[in-house]
Amino acid sequence: MYGRRGTQLLKELSSCETGQLPALNTDTFDEVIKECKAHSSEVQSLTGKIQEEGLDLATTRNADYFGAAIHHYSIIRNKRCLMAYMYNRAEIIQSLRWKVGRILPQEISVKLNHSEEEYFKNHSSALESYMSDLELDLTVDMVPPKDPYIKVRVLDDIGTLLLSDQSPNLARHSIHFLKRTDAEQFISQGLMEELSD
Amino acid sequence: MASGSEEGTELETEDIDKSIRLTTDVELLKQAWRNEKASPEILKFQADLVQRSKEQIQLMEDTVEDYEGNGTDPLTISLYQMDLDRYQFLLRSYLRTRLQKIEKYTIHISKTEMWNRLSRPEQKFAKRCKDSMEKHLTQSVLSKLPEGYRSILQQSASSDAEDMVPEPQLDTFVFCKSNQYREVVQVGESGDEQFDFAVDGLGVIRYTAIRELVETGKVDLV
Repeated sequence: MYGRRGTQLLKELSSCETGQLPALNTDTFDEVIKECKAHSSEVQSLTGKIQEEGLDLATTRNADYFGAAIHHYSIIRNKRCLMAYMYNRAEIIQSLRWKVGRILPQEISVKLNHSEEEYFKNHSSALESYMSDLELDLTVDMVPPKDPYIKVRVLDDIGTLLLSDQSPNLARHSIHFLKRTDAEQFISQGLMEELSD
Repeated sequence: MASGSEEGTELETEDIDKSIRLTTDVELLKQAWRNEKASPEILKFQADLVQRSKEQIQLMEDTVEDYEGNGTDPLTISLYQMDLDRYQFLLRSYLRTRLQKIEKYTIHISKTEMWNRLSRPEQKFAKRCKDSMEKHLTQSVLSKLPEGYRSILQQSASSDAEDMVPEPQLDTFVFCKSNQYREVVQVGESGDEQFDFAVDGLGVIRYTAIRELVETGKVDLV
């Protein structure tokens, strides 16, 4: 059936948990592109045939015309599927900038193709230049603050750092009481976890 | 008689209190933030308000620092700090919400009068967003498609309109509250039904019906 493969791509994406990025399915993607090319040559040969018969393309409504129309709509459907696939992936990639910061961890970046990586870089530099125009870091304070301080456990050796109000030794497994704005960047990088009471 | 007049003054002071509360910048920013969060389209950028808020945040930061320097009671500092944190969250979240809308509808925004609702840095951001998204989609999808199907705006060269641009859905339902005035809104498909807002009245209504009222500030979204 025409257009089935394109749908498969989207099904794969939507069966994923929201915000999770599946690996790029290059094989299916390329096959859909191939399908589009096949449809396109069909359209051309059918419209060519109509013209050969000396009929007017705009008014002819014979079997060849409807055949061509079906191929035409198949291309459009495939295009919509491919675009939706890429666009929705790009949206997830955008949201990663807010969640994990400027540098993508290895396990995520292997799921992207070259163009997507480039897109992530371009998009995050756009965001950064916006933030420097405003002189305001928008990636902190993602949840409404309840208490200025939170309790965190350090998950990896960070060492002694100068934070805004203290300079604790952030050794692995140690527990600290830090300013939320200080701790947030480490939490998003997976170096700390917040302890709830 | 005496008690009656007392009640009257009490009510009046309450009213004045309320109107003062409604005009502080924190309250205005909260309102702008709520509207922005709830509305499906991007609203006008509150340039002056954001500027004032940034100045006030700076001021509050200085105050907290001063207090920390001269050994004021830690509890007092922590209260000031909390107030400051909340204010900062509000401002950041307001700006973030706008950026997310720009990311989502960048092509649509750059083609309509909505462009003027953006601040200058936002316009810059929108432009870069649009360019990088177009580049990415062209590289990975459009350039591989057959001739005549490569437009990012149209499904194919034979489409009449630009039918591939995501647009905000304006006829979605929103919760809203009339501000101080009584408002009557035309609703229904042909505008034949009326929805009567009492003062402070709450309603669930299609966004398109109250779009102008939100713009003029007569109705707020909640």
